[in-house]
Amino acid sequence: MRQFLRYLLTCCGLSLAVVALAQPTPRQVVVVSSASSPAYQEVSKSLFNALQRSGFSSGAVVLLSSDELMRQAKAGQLDSVRIFVGLGVRATQSLLSAGVTAPVLSTLIPRRSFEQLLQSSGRKTSGLLSAIYLDQPLRRQLALVRLALPQARQVGVLLGLDSVGKLSELRTQAQGAALRVQTAEVVSDQALFPALREVLDGSDVFLALADPRVFNSASIQNILLSSFKARVPMVAFSPAYARAGASLVLYSSPAQVGKQAGLVVIAALRNGHLPEQPIEPDDFVVDVNPNVTRALGLTLDGAELRQALRRLERLP
Amino acid sequence: MKSPLNATRRDSTGHRAGAVAFGLVLLCPAVTAQVTPAVSERDYFADMPVVLSVSRLPQRLDETPGAMTIIDREFIRQSGARDVVDVLRLVPGFQTSTSFESDAPQANYHGSFSVYSARIQVLIDGRSVYSTYLFGSVAPGLMSVALDDIERIEVFRGSNSAAYGARAMLGVVNIVTRRPAESLGVRAGLNRGENGIADTQLSLGWQALGATMRLSVDQRADDGLTGSNGHNRVQRANFRADVAVLPDTQLEFRGGWMGIDAGRGFATNVNAPLRDTVYGSSFVQFDWKKSIGSNHDYAVGFAHMQESFVDVAPFALAPVVLDYSGVASNDSLKFESVHRLDSDLRYVWGAEWRRESVTSQPLYNTGSAIVTDFTRLFTNVEWRLAKDVLLNVGGMAERSSASGSTFAPRMMLNWQAAAGHTLRAGVAKAFRPPSVFEKQGDIRYSVANQLLQITTLARGQVESESVLTRELGYLADVPWLNSQLDVRIFDEAIAGFIQNKKYALPAGTSVFASNPRDYVNGDSFSIRGFEAQWQSQPWQGARLGLNVERSRVVHAIPLFDPDLLTAVPTSAHTVSLQQQLPAGWQMSVSHRYLDTVALPSTSSYRGSLSRTDLRLAKLLRWRGYKAEIAMVVQSADGAVLDYRDTFVYPRRAFFTLRLQD
Repeated sequence: MRQFLRYLLTCCGLSLAVVALAQPTPRQVVVVSSASSPAYQEVSKSLFNALQRSGFSSGAVVLLSSDELMRQAKAGQLDSVRIFVGLGVRATQSLLSAGVTAPVLSTLIPRRSFEQLLQSSGRKTSGLLSAIYLDQPLRRQLALVRLALPQARQVGVLLGLDSVGKLSELRTQAQGAALRVQTAEVVSDQALFPALREVLDGSDVFLALADPRVFNSASIQNILLSSFKARVPMVAFSPAYARAGASLVLYSSPAQVGKQAGLVVIAALRNGHLPEQPIEPDDFVVDVNPNVTRALGLTLDGAELRQALRRLERLP
Repeated sequence: MKSPLNATRRDSTGHRAGAVAFGLVLLCPAVTAQVTPAVSERDYFADMPVVLSVSRLPQRLDETPGAMTIIDREFIRQSGARDVVDVLRLVPGFQTSTSFESDAPQANYHGSFSVYSARIQVLIDGRSVYSTYLFGSVAPGLMSVALDDIERIEVFRGSNSAAYGARAMLGVVNIVTRRPAESLGVRAGLNRGENGIADTQLSLGWQALGATMRLSVDQRADDGLTGSNGHNRVQRANFRADVAVLPDTQLEFRGGWMGIDAGRGFATNVNAPLRDTVYGSSFVQFDWKKSIGSNHDYAVGFAHMQESFVDVAPFALAPVVLDYSGVASNDSLKFESVHRLDSDLRYVWGAEWRRESVTSQPLYNTGSAIVTDFTRLFTNVEWRLAKDVLLNVGGMAERSSASGSTFAPRMMLNWQAAAGHTLRAGVAKAFRPPSVFEKQGDIRYSVANQLLQITTLARGQVESESVLTRELGYLADVPWLNSQLDVRIFDEAIAGFIQNKKYALPAGTSVFASNPRDYVNGDSFSIRGFEAQWQSQPWQGARLGLNVERSRVVHAIPLFDPDLLTAVPTSAHTVSLQQQLPAGWQMSVSHRYLDTVALPSTSSYRGSLSRTDLRLAKLLRWRGYKAEIAMVVQSADGAVLDYRDTFVYPRRAFFTLRLQD
């Protein structure tokens, strides 16, 4: 009898184990991507790697598109999720609309876009909703200018509807960096050339801030030709601009964005909440266009500038 | 409520995106209630066309295969000059004139060997403005662009046939006009003053149909040199449109017209009586430029130019008309490809086909067009042999249907001995083919089918003249007074110099004995010397320049034309200062000195030049408008001889008013 009971218990235990093993791993992290182009894939891959290194099984992290998110939210399939990560504006927008209850971390998102989404959705940043900005802080961009071009005294900046909000911070940060700022606002396509002339006049460096009304594939030709002709090196915000002809660019690569997001997610799951305030990218790349800088008589090294910037910010 | 943020370029993603958006409107009202931000992560990861590609990055001055003088727009404005030739006057090694007696004011580098400028190449935005008419000359072309349209002038001092073909025998003047994108709006200006100066200029730049365009119309007029039959008037209209066909593809169109009305001749010279002449030219130019990545560009260009010249006067001693009229045209089709293999190796190669045609019954004794075809193949390799050593090797093979084939090679080594100190050493060979007139000139005068006299009858034996240039250079970029020094030491060995030689035709050929001119390869000689150009920005708002030049003509065998010995000044210098003053004031002063030179083929001019120009200007701003009022005094230190011993360039003052929106 005792032997029978032992057998029964063993069978029940095994059955429970089989049942338990047959259950899918609960989805703990859902990553929502705005698109599937290589940049997004690289961010999610880097994020997954960071999570896996911390012990997350592959089944615990799921990648969804914005549309899939909306479908699953309607079907109530997201209730067990512990944290959502949005990659890009569209994904963040979907997460805010989907009415999810778990914390939402928005990444790969410019500060201006995140603030607009908060405003339009009536939400505020909190331990449940935060972001890692894609744009580099102005403080860092101006520090790069000082490091790369120590003789520079005046920075020219073109502002549009999406960047004019940075003007007061720009002035404050520039003052702190002992730089003068010469700005002009581009209110229409027609206004680009006069504004360009205004900001390049007397400037030692031209700082580009992401704003599709000012910087786009149609305007970049005239902007770069004018700044080169004026012998004013351009400091921009994406690797494509270095290829196009900017002297220097400062940006966070998709791998860096994904890695930082992974670390923030791990900390949030441990602490139970996200950072109360959005955070800045903690790693970055400095690219140099060697042909353009050479033609301008400059000698710059991107890796050295990155290290110098990191030392300045006391980053490891 | 429609937010302006929705109106972005990403709205153009097509019908599919529109359908998706419509579906979302129906299914998810909560989503559509939100504002879609304009700036997004795509601005950080979107691809961009390569703009500053390999051909758009010019060589640094310390890497150019020779000596360069670059004159920028600001220098031109402050110089007080009224035309390009007057600006070139301040470039080391240049001799210029303001006379319209031959065709238009001349500019020559290392010697005014005749009254026509035929030994330098002039390009305006890559288009050769060589005039096929008569002896061949770049002087009318130098007049064909208004100073206000110019972005900069790059003067390559020394032979550069390897890059620019025959006619770049002694130097190249490369004029780059402003991009229409940088000259939008309205600009107007006028000069009024002594010597009948009446210049007027109006320029309009605008954007339309995805292109930027500029139309400029202007006039340059004065009473010319005292003692000449002055009253010269140049009128121009130039149009340029830049179309960005694709972000990496640019189409540029240019078109223009110029008319020069010039009084010429002398009351006491029956062979050159007082008369009014009219020169007209027009052109169209298309350039298609494409970047294939940052390391490969190519360009295709076509240009057509049409010229006409009317110069007719009666001969006082016989019922004969002195006629030098004619028409000419040229067409050019060229291809150029620029590659960068890696950071140490860049090369360019290309080909050009050019057809020059000239028709003039009085000059060639035929009503048929005389056509010359040129085909050119060229390449230049820029190879960094070591970190501090750059080698430029290139050459141009050229075939002319009239004067055969030539190959013009060039090699220049630039060694950066220390930071800011570069030494150059190089050798180049260049050619100038004879002009149509030098090859086929045939001027004869007849009355009632009776041949009175033949004054020119080229026998066609003349071949290309050549120059072998050896030079050493030193370029220093030093912090002392924020200055740059360029020194060029040269030996330009000219062989088979084309000159005229009279010969006798058999008695009875004409009523009067004919000893016509022929053109032959004559003297061989060398021009040796050095030029030092020092430019400085010693303090805020100041630009200081000093040029010192020494040269001489040396020859192993006696010269047929002794005037060649003094065609190049043995000594010359230029001093210039441009200074910005408080309250928008600006002052500039320039002084140019050339010691005694002769002008071969005039047989009358022999003189030195000492000319000082002064300019005082005040910049004004009013409600976004900019204005400038200036007073210019040219030749303030007194009158100087120019072109002939009876032509005087007087001291003269004029006012300038410029307006810009």
